[in-house]
Amino acid sequence: MKELSQTGKKNRPALFAGIGVVALLALFPLVAPAPYFLSMLYMVFLYVVLAESWNIIGGFAGYLSFGHVAFFGLGAYTTAFLMNKLALSPVATILSSIPGGFVAALVAFVIGYPCLRLRGPYFAVVTMCFAFVVHMVMQNIDLFGGVEGLWLPAMKQPIHVIRGIFYELMLALMILVILFVRWMEGSKLGKGLVTIREDEEVAQTLGIHTPRIKALAFVLSAFFPGVAGGLHAYYLTYISPENVFDVMVSILIVLMTLFGGGGSWLGALIGAVSLSLVNEFLTTFVGAEIARIIYGMLFIGVILFMPNGIMEFFRRRRRVRLAAEEVSES
Amino acid sequence: MKRKLSWLILIFAFSLFFLYGGPAGAQQKPIVIGGSLPLTGVWAETAKVIQRGYEFWVEETNAKGGLLGRPVKLVIYDDEGKPDSAVKLAEKAITVDKVDLLLGGYPGTAARPVMPVAEKYKMVYVSMGGHMASFTQGYTYSFGAPPLMGEWWFLGAFQWLETFPADQRPKRAAVYIMNNPVGTALLSSIDEYTKKLGIQVIINEKYNLPLPSAEPLVMKAKQMNCDLFISGGVFPDGVMTVKAAKALKYNPKAYFQGVGSAIPAWTKELGEDGNAIVSGTSYHEKLNNPSNKMLIKRVKEKLNMDSVDTYFGFSVAWLQTLFAGVEGTKGLDQTKIRDWLRKNKVETVAGTFTFDAKGLPAPFTYTTQVVDGKIELIYPADIRSHKGIYPKPAWK
Amino acid sequence: MGGIYALLGVGFSLTWGVMRVINIAHAGFGVLAAYIAYSLLEKTGLDPLLSLLISLPSFFFGGMILHRGLIRPITKARETIVASMVLTFGLAIVVENVMLWIWKADPRVLKPSYSGTAVFIGEVGLPIAQLVGFGLAAVGILLLYLFLNHTHTGKAVQATWQEKEGAALMGINLQKVSEIAFGLAIAAAGMGGVAMAMMYTFDPPVHNFWLIYMFLVVIVGGVGSILGTALAGLILGVITGLCMAFIPYQWINVLTFGLLIVVLLVRPQGLFKTGV
Repeated sequence: MKELSQTGKKNRPALFAGIGVVALLALFPLVAPAPYFLSMLYMVFLYVVLAESWNIIGGFAGYLSFGHVAFFGLGAYTTAFLMNKLALSPVATILSSIPGGFVAALVAFVIGYPCLRLRGPYFAVVTMCFAFVVHMVMQNIDLFGGVEGLWLPAMKQPIHVIRGIFYELMLALMILVILFVRWMEGSKLGKGLVTIREDEEVAQTLGIHTPRIKALAFVLSAFFPGVAGGLHAYYLTYISPENVFDVMVSILIVLMTLFGGGGSWLGALIGAVSLSLVNEFLTTFVGAEIARIIYGMLFIGVILFMPNGIMEFFRRRRRVRLAAEEVSES
Repeated sequence: MKRKLSWLILIFAFSLFFLYGGPAGAQQKPIVIGGSLPLTGVWAETAKVIQRGYEFWVEETNAKGGLLGRPVKLVIYDDEGKPDSAVKLAEKAITVDKVDLLLGGYPGTAARPVMPVAEKYKMVYVSMGGHMASFTQGYTYSFGAPPLMGEWWFLGAFQWLETFPADQRPKRAAVYIMNNPVGTALLSSIDEYTKKLGIQVIINEKYNLPLPSAEPLVMKAKQMNCDLFISGGVFPDGVMTVKAAKALKYNPKAYFQGVGSAIPAWTKELGEDGNAIVSGTSYHEKLNNPSNKMLIKRVKEKLNMDSVDTYFGFSVAWLQTLFAGVEGTKGLDQTKIRDWLRKNKVETVAGTFTFDAKGLPAPFTYTTQVVDGKIELIYPADIRSHKGIYPKPAWK
Repeated sequence: MGGIYALLGVGFSLTWGVMRVINIAHAGFGVLAAYIAYSLLEKTGLDPLLSLLISLPSFFFGGMILHRGLIRPITKARETIVASMVLTFGLAIVVENVMLWIWKADPRVLKPSYSGTAVFIGEVGLPIAQLVGFGLAAVGILLLYLFLNHTHTGKAVQATWQEKEGAALMGINLQKVSEIAFGLAIAAAGMGGVAMAMMYTFDPPVHNFWLIYMFLVVIVGGVGSILGTALAGLILGVITGLCMAFIPYQWINVLTFGLLIVVLLVRPQGLFKTGV
C-alpha cells in the first residue's frame, strides 16, 4: 500500500511534464494535422477513458466486470435516441451524452446490488451475460432501431473541424477521468476499495460498508463510459447493436488495464495507450494475420515476464533499486 | 515517476513520427486507391476474395496503360471487421496516404459508417452499401455498383415462381430470417411478393446467429405443410438447415436460401443435397454481358480460374464504375466524378447501370439455382443459363 | 447439442478448478482439432472419430508442453486467474490466426459418411451425425470422470485441486499433476472440437462463439465438477429446445443468458457443485 504515496508529493517535475503533455495534446489540432491522427488519438483517448473507468471497479476493487461495454453502448443509444426523437441541435446532442452517462449509471446501480454480491469469476461472468442480454434486447426492440441501428445526422461543419471537436471533447473527458481516478486512489473511497480487493472479510470487520462502496464504485465506473458512448455515437453518426455492444471491447478494456497494471491510474493509462498504439503500428506495417499473431504474442510475452502488469513490474524494480540504494548508503 | 512520463512522451512522439512517415505516402506518378477490408476476423473469407478481385482488376488496368495513362496503386488496410477501425482507416487513407480514390469496404456494417465519412471528405465511395437504409440518408457521394441490396434479393426468385401456372405455385411459406440487417432487409420483398402471389406466410421468425440447431425450424415447417421454405441466413446456418431438411425428409416445392448457396463451398460441403436451392445475387459469372465475358476469359487466362466468385465480380464492378468516372471526367476531381456518374451509364461485369439520386441503379436481381453442383442463372429470361428446376426434387 | 458443449466445457472446467487458470484459448484448440480432423478426412478419408486416435495424444502432450512453457511461469503471479486470462487471450489470438493462415477463412463442415442421414422415432427425426457427436461427448465425459475418480493420478488431480497444501504434504508432485491435468484438458478440448464440428460449420473465429456457451455450461454446472458440467450441458440443450418450441427464436438467447444470470445470482457455485 505504500506505493500509493509515490504518486503524491515530491513530483513537481512530473507535474509540469504532465501539464506539458496535456497542453501539447490540446493544441495539436491547431497545427492542422491530417484528420486521421485526430481520429486515431481520439480512439486512444476513448480507450483510456474506458480502461480508467473500468479500473475503478476492476483494478481497485478487484471486481472484474466483463460486460462494461454495455454501459458504453447504453450511453451511445441514449444519445442517438434522444437526438432522433427530439431533433436535437449539435450542441444539445453533445450534451446529451451526459444523460447517457446517467442512464448507464442508473443501470449499474440497479444491477450492481445483486451482482456485486458475487465474487471473482462469477461476477465476471454475470456482467458478461448482462452485456449480452442488453445487446440482444436492443437488437430485438424496433423502437431503438433493432438490428438496423440508428443513424445520426452529421454536423454541418467541415470534417477537420468535426474531428477536432471530438478530439478535444474526448481529451477533456480523458483528463477528467484520469484526474478523478488519481484523486480516488488517494481518497478514503479508493483505499476502501483496495482493502476490499485484498480481503473483503477484513474490510467488513474494519467497518467499511462494503455493499455501499462497491455499488458506488460500480456506478462511477459506468458513468464515464456512458458519456463516452454518447460522444462516440455522434462521432460515428451510425450505431448498431453489433458495434456498440461488442464483447471484444469489454474483454479488451479488462486486458488493457490488467496489462498495464490494475489498481493504479497510471497502469490503466499505460495499458490503454500502449496496446492501442501497438495495434495501430501492426495494422499499418505488417500483413494482416501476422499482425494479429504478433499482437497475441505480445500478451503472452508480457504476462510471462511481468505477470502482474507493466506497472507492477516497474514498481518492483524501483523498490528493489531503492532498497539497494538504502543498503549501499548505510 | 518522472522517468516513466518521459518514456511515455518519447514513445508517443516516436509513434507519431512513424505513423506520419507511413509506407503508403502519396507519390507523384501513380494513382493511389486505398481503403480497408476485414482481412482478419469473422469476415476474412469474403474479404480475401474482394482483395483478389481488386488486385486483379488493378493489374488488368495497368496492363492496358493504367488510368489516365498513370499506373494504379492499391493500398488495403485490415480493419478486422470493426466498424470503428473501418472509419479510422478510411480517414487514414484519405488524409494521410492522400489516396486519389477510395476503395469500397465490406461488409455492410463497415460500409455504413464509412459512407458519412466519404460524404464529409467529398470522396466518391463505390461499394456494396449497407442495404436501403444506408442509401436513404442523403449521402450523395456513395454509390452501389452493384449494391448488396437485401431488399431486392428475392425479387427475381418470386418473379420466377410467377412464371409457373398459379395452381402449381407454392401456397404456404415458412420464413426464417437471421436477425441482422442483411436478414431484415430480405423481408420487404418477401412481404410484397407473398401477398402478390397469394402465398400464405404461415411461419415468420427471426433467429440469432449462430444458430444452435436447425431441426426445430425444419420440423415446424414440415408439420405446418409449408411448401415454400425461405432460409434467409448465411452459409453456416444455411448448410445446417439443408442438412436438417434432408435428415427430416422435408421436401418443399421451392427452397430459397439467403446467402451462401451461390459459392463453390456450398456444393463442396453439401454435394447433391445442395441442388435446386434458389437464391439471388447482384453478380454472377454466367452473366453474358460483354464486360463479364471478357472478365471470365481474362481470369481463365491469367489466373487459371474456372469460376469467379460473386464478390470477385462485385469488386471488379466497383472498380470499373469508379474508373469509368475517372476516365469520363478525365481527372480525379471527386465532385466531378460524382456528377458524371449520375449522368452517365456505366458498363460493368454486373450489368449496365444508371444511377439515381440515391446512388443506386434500378432494382434488379439475378436469380440463381444450384443445378448438378453448378450455379446457374434462372431468371430473368434474357440472361438465364438454365430454365430452373421446379418443383424441387425430393432428397435422395 | 448441450452434451457437445459439455464435453468442450469439462476440460475448461478442469483447468479453472485445478489450476485457477481460465484458458481462453480452450475453444480455440477445439477448432484446431476440428481442422485437423477435416484435413485428415479430406486427404485420407479417415473418419473423424478415428482421427481422434491421432490428435488426442498429440493434444495431450502438446498441452503438457504448453503448461510447462507458458502456464507454470505465471503461477507466480499475484492473481493467477487474471494473468492466465491475459496470457490465454494472447494465445487464442495466435491460435486463431495461425489457423487462418494455414486453412484460410472459409467455413468448413465435417462430412463423414453418415452425415445427412437420420434415425426416425415416429415423427421425430434425429440426425445421425448429431447422435455420433453426442455419443462422442458422452464417451469423452465418462472417460474423464472415470479417470478422475478411479485412477491414482486422477485422484491426485482431485486432491491437488481441493487441498493444495495437503496434497503436497502427501508427496504429490504438484507440478506433474498440473501438467497432466492441463494436457488432459487440452485433449478434451480437441475431442470436444471434433464433436462440435459434427454438428456445426466451423472457421477460425468460431471459437469465440463456442467460448461463450462453454462459459455458460461450466458456470451453471459448477467449476471443476465434471458431472455438473455434463448436466448443465444437457440442461442447456433441453432449455434451448423448449424455447425453440414456444418462443420467437430471436429471444432465445436473451432467455438463455437471462436464466444464467438468475442462476448466478441465486446459486453461484453452480447447480451441482458441492463443497468447493
